[in-house]
Amino acid sequence: MMSDDSRLDSLFQTYRASCPDIEPSSGFTPELWRRIEARRTFGFVFQRLARAAVTACAALCLLMLALNLVGGSHNDPSSYFDALVADHSAENTYYTEAIRSAPTNEEALPDFGHSR
Amino acid sequence: MLVEQELIEKARAGDTAAFNQVVLAYRKRILGTISRLIGKPEDVEDVGQEVFLRLYYSLDQLRTPEVFEPWLYRLTVNASYDYLRRAKRRGESRMADLSEQQVLMADSLAGGRQDNEDRQKSKVREFVDALFRHVSEEDRLLLTLKEVEGLSLKELEKIYRVNENALKVRLFRARQRVLKAYEAASADGKL
Repeated sequence: MMSDDSRLDSLFQTYRASCPDIEPSSGFTPELWRRIEARRTFGFVFQRLARAAVTACAALCLLMLALNLVGGSHNDPSSYFDALVADHSAENTYYTEAIRSAPTNEEALPDFGHSR
Repeated sequence: MLVEQELIEKARAGDTAAFNQVVLAYRKRILGTISRLIGKPEDVEDVGQEVFLRLYYSLDQLRTPEVFEPWLYRLTVNASYDYLRRAKRRGESRMADLSEQQVLMADSLAGGRQDNEDRQKSKVREFVDALFRHVSEEDRLLLTLKEVEGLSLKELEKIYRVNENALKVRLFRARQRVLKAYEAASADGKL
């Protein structure tokens, strides 16, 4: 008597034989080539767009570099650090001036009749 | 191999006539495999075209013509997986998910008159498909390739790119599950 294991094997064989052979339709190959062409066209368009984008990016980089070089000659030649120090000292100056310009107690405080 | 290695080389080099010959040689076999993997006869050609489309655009990556067939099977399995994933997202059911009565009704509605032999074949297909429902989609595909398509472990190793032992373990477990369902069906007298 056959074991379940070998019966399963023979069932798989029967299943294989019972599956119908698929005959490709007459339109199979033409449709395949249509799909290949469609993807090729898409790929071609995408490739061209990608190339155009790369060229545009390169041109933009060059333009920005040129603008930076031209614009850079009009700027203060001092470094960023110098500018920062100058800015900081200007702040100190402002506060110092503010403190100096503050009125003294005698000058500034209004008399609310305490002197009487 | 169904074609000469020289033809594969030519197709790989961009010869469209050679590629066409490769398609003509393999399309029937590939469509048969796909029909057993996806179980939807109406979508078999669409998936088959997807396989050959992928082959066309990936043929230049093929290292040697000797590995052409495993390569083609790999593309077939991947395209079938993709199809099954899309079908699952759409919530479609396979023909095997329908009851026998529904299948018969669908057949009679289609105007087909099955003779006894066809009816028997249809029952076998439905029964095996029902057994396969006891394993995951991935294991069903693997079992189909091994047990139904008759691919060797070496070939499966090349297709799945995993070592033979891992495949053996996976196949053994899947087969055990199917066998358990088969025994249950035998006990219920469904055979």
